Amino acid sequence: MFKPYQSDRNFDEMLEKDGSTRAHYQDFHKVMDQFSESELREKHETAQLSFLRQGITFTVYNDNVGTERTMPFDFIPIIMPPETWTMIEKGMKQRVEALNMFLDDIYHNAEIVKDGVVPREFVEQNPYYLKKQVTGIDVPLKNHIFLAGIDLIRDQEGTYRVLEDNLRNPSGMSYVYQNRYVMRQVYPEFFNRHSIHSLEHQLSHMHEAVLDHCPINCLHEPRAVLLTPGMYNSAYYDHVFLAQQMGIELVEGRDLHVRDNIVYVKTIRGMQRVDIIYRRIDDDFLDPQVFNKDSALGVPGLMSAYKKGNVSFLNGVGNGVADDKAMYAFVPEMIRYYLKEDPIIPNVDTYFMRNIEQRKWALENLDQLVVKNVGASGGYDMLIGPHATNEEIDRFRKKIEEEPHQYIAQPTIQLSRAPAFQDGRFYPCHVDLRVFVMRGKKTNVLPGGLSRVALKEGSLVVNSSQGGGGKDTWVLKGGEDNHAEQSS
Amino acid sequence: MLSRVADSLYWMSRNIERAENNARVLGVQLIQMLEASSEETLARHDWETVLEICGSVEDFNRMYPKMSTNHLIDYLAFAENNPNSILSCIKYARENARTTRDSIPTDLFEVWNNLYLETTEMKISEGSLRDIQQFLNRVKIAALTSHGIVDSMMTRGVPYRFFNVAKWLERGEKTARILNVLNDRSTADREKADGTNYYYWRSALQLVNGYEEYLKQYPPRMNEKDILTFLISDFSFPRSIQYCMDHIRESVISLEGGRVSHYSWRIYAALDLMIDEFDERKISSLKDEGISAFLDDFQNKCNDIGRIFSETYYLVEPSKTT
Repeated sequence: MFKPYQSDRNFDEMLEKDGSTRAHYQDFHKVMDQFSESELREKHETAQLSFLRQGITFTVYNDNVGTERTMPFDFIPIIMPPETWTMIEKGMKQRVEALNMFLDDIYHNAEIVKDGVVPREFVEQNPYYLKKQVTGIDVPLKNHIFLAGIDLIRDQEGTYRVLEDNLRNPSGMSYVYQNRYVMRQVYPEFFNRHSIHSLEHQLSHMHEAVLDHCPINCLHEPRAVLLTPGMYNSAYYDHVFLAQQMGIELVEGRDLHVRDNIVYVKTIRGMQRVDIIYRRIDDDFLDPQVFNKDSALGVPGLMSAYKKGNVSFLNGVGNGVADDKAMYAFVPEMIRYYLKEDPIIPNVDTYFMRNIEQRKWALENLDQLVVKNVGASGGYDMLIGPHATNEEIDRFRKKIEEEPHQYIAQPTIQLSRAPAFQDGRFYPCHVDLRVFVMRGKKTNVLPGGLSRVALKEGSLVVNSSQGGGGKDTWVLKGGEDNHAEQSS
Repeated sequence: MLSRVADSLYWMSRNIERAENNARVLGVQLIQMLEASSEETLARHDWETVLEICGSVEDFNRMYPKMSTNHLIDYLAFAENNPNSILSCIKYARENARTTRDSIPTDLFEVWNNLYLETTEMKISEGSLRDIQQFLNRVKIAALTSHGIVDSMMTRGVPYRFFNVAKWLERGEKTARILNVLNDRSTADREKADGTNYYYWRSALQLVNGYEEYLKQYPPRMNEKDILTFLISDFSFPRSIQYCMDHIRESVISLEGGRVSHYSWRIYAALDLMIDEFDERKISSLKDEGISAFLDDFQNKCNDIGRIFSETYYLVEPSKTT
């Protein structure tokens, strides 16, 4: 059964330093203590199976052979007091607003570069900066970021910090729903003691936000579709879920066709016009006439239809320039520059390996730093100094010396932890939180988000492709009394 | 509806029906094999019959060194490189259900997802007829459950019609194929002792699960003409060709809102031509040697309808005339 543990090096979501339960976790803890170990094991298995049965899987590729896996689910939720959430919500809106202004700026006059806030080379040399293809395009609502997924962590003191911005195709929203669904099905006992923000209606807000992006030349009811690479994509379930819940069609590249700069979808009644494409394929694969010539996922002619204002893409094309790991360091400056505000949620300190002094210092301290490739994601090409062998450190030293502009370094943060129950026992695991920000005419933040947990004991990597799991995330309701009204 | 989604729905439905039919045929055969163990020649012939109904003798001979019960079961039930094996059908049904998840009831996806997951981990001890029958039963139940889900949960809209058209096409074709194969066998054996014919025609009824229904309408004699009439032109037996074609026609009419348009007249014409052929009088006036040609022609027409249907709704690129 659950035994509290001392937690002095890491911030723990559920426990105080001395092992006592934090106030907003006490009701949960009481209910949890009423379950026997065998009950917990049984529920655990039911929960895992439920994901498999519903086909909520992602595909992992090894030597080109794809295996379907489920994301392991852990029943101990991340619980957030209302005032914490209010702060995160504000911080997220602020950050994404500034990032969007940045994108619109650099694809028009690039004032921020002229004013010297972001060095020109960082923009111009960025492989995701699509100057030629995107500059001058006016997107609907001037909104380049329809959906952002911002990854947050908490440091030793419990301060939330932004770890990463995902402004291209953030995935995982379906998991937020499925985690909640499974939690309600398998652990209903917890819910009558808590009053938490529901996820209902969020997807109708999202649908509204999609339709807000009507292209300028669309004078009729817009038709929106979700463009997926297909069922072999690792996020396919996410695509199915969102299309289904928003009631828009799930299409593949081969379903679309561009004629005279107008996009059509092939239906059993012939070709029909498409106005808004929520595309879940990367820029590079979107249009073989403009980007990767070998792309079979995209549709020739999409970009010219986009430029003519006959179709809109969500998210905008060229967003990669704003969410890469090097640009990340400038986001606090962007917030000050565009919004004249101080960032509500800080960054993690970041050192550039292209900078000679910072590189020299970092190479001497690699065993204490986290090194990341600015172009990689999913936890790949990354060094976690304190956990690395000498060989790994040497390998990264070489890599950095060969391609310094490819790498950044950050201090190792003692990521916060939360207890997890796996294989019949409790142990603390590192967690992070992906918050989803949806923007149309209004901006809306999905209450809570996707809590990811590194289930390998001691591991810092939460990505599902590398053994990470998920937890339900609860935002407790309202001010004075954050326990349930119904509690007896 | 997207053409691609319609295409996947169509193949999902055909594979569900095919899995069920093949499971039934194999199940019936395994039981008959036990009963006929004394008449060995008959039993061996029977296996070829089943191969022709559910797959191809040629493929089988290429894949296996010799004819044996275990090889046959492997080919028909499990072989991954046989696209018509029951496991392959389950896999295709599930894959197509996965790509059409946003158009079908969640329960329908889950039935085939579960069956797929179960069967990929299934252990069947070699030669255990009990295990195999259990598996076949599981497949039949999954298919029947699907029909129940579709019937009780789906709006009578486009996806529903596509699901049904595909089901009836697959079923009608299968009935035609069974009749065709058994008729060939029966003709080949006509010179032999009495009772052989009887055996084949009773098989035909059992393979389409029509034995009981047949007995309700006809005397328990296995009269060739009666059986052909029943399986081809009966209006109320849901596996007769007539019934399947009628329902395809009805579905097309619903899809088209009762209108005939420039793109849909061909499917109407093909169906009308077909339905014309099943006149009860025509069948009873057929001479013995005419039956085979009639059934061949009929199977071709079934295939034509499938092709024309696909072309009408852009499911496949239209075949080019050269």
